[in-house]
Amino acid sequence: MDKLANRLREDASHIDAEISAQLDSRIRASLAAVGPPAARRRKSKRRPAWFWLASSLTGIVAALALIAVLNVIDVDEPAAVPRTVDGNTVPPIGVIDLDVRAAMLTDPLARELADLQADLKKAEELVRGDVRIDF
Amino acid sequence: MSDELKLVDAAKGGSVEAFTELVRGYREGLFRFLLTRCSNHADAEDALQDTLINAYRYIGSYNPQWRFSTWLYRIAIRNAGRLRSDNFAELGDPAADGGDPLAHCLAESERDNLWRSAKRILSDEVFAAMWLRYVEDMSVRDIASVLERSSSWTKVNLLRGRRALELELNGTAGNAGSEAYG
Repeated sequence: MDKLANRLREDASHIDAEISAQLDSRIRASLAAVGPPAARRRKSKRRPAWFWLASSLTGIVAALALIAVLNVIDVDEPAAVPRTVDGNTVPPIGVIDLDVRAAMLTDPLARELADLQADLKKAEELVRGDVRIDF
Repeated sequence: MSDELKLVDAAKGGSVEAFTELVRGYREGLFRFLLTRCSNHADAEDALQDTLINAYRYIGSYNPQWRFSTWLYRIAIRNAGRLRSDNFAELGDPAADGGDPLAHCLAESERDNLWRSAKRILSDEVFAAMWLRYVEDMSVRDIASVLERSSSWTKVNLLRGRRALELELNGTAGNAGSEAYG
């Protein structure tokens, strides 16, 4: 070993690093108070590599199954109507005609359109009268 | 299985006695190292206590592929650094107290101890690298692991530290102290 390394080693040994009895007992008491390390260790939450693949596949299969189930169920089937309530006979309720209802909803728009066309026609006649130009 | 690994296993199982036995051989060297890192003797004692408590608490994470001393010194450096930053935040620059623990731990005849010069002219990290190399006989790889630096950085700075101390030892330090080591 070279001169410098020897000197460094020797000089380090001259540094007084005696651990006092007081410090020793303090350390022992602290260690005893910490409790067993194994009990404090948390379980690893790391999952295996195949976990993500398996969960992805499960998700895809579940989605496909849901789509298939929704397509198989016959949603056009009308709900069954009880024929009697508390012993009294009641007439069956007919299915609502959705087409009629839809036509009724467009009525106001059709009326508005007719009004606008009438306004346009009146405005056209007024302009003809003013400028006396025959279109 | 070596005795040390047996003690590590027992300590992992919660045996304080096994842990105490395990660190018995390292305590004095660790304390000596901490005396060079901390701003006063009391801080070095606190740092030693914290280091041993943390080592015991987290011994489950110790990987036996590394030397036990490497792992222990890594914890010690972190603790000493934290204590120093806490002191700095609370009291300002602790060096201003004149509380150099090395001065108190050396006899009058040892005032020209080379480690005091090293502390004066080297950065903290280079000082630690030199200590671990020449006092603890650690390999470059272990030192790099303790300091969380690359092996290249460790090699280069060991060489620089050596040159600076050789100049100091030969009494031709000149401007060595003004160079930015580390």
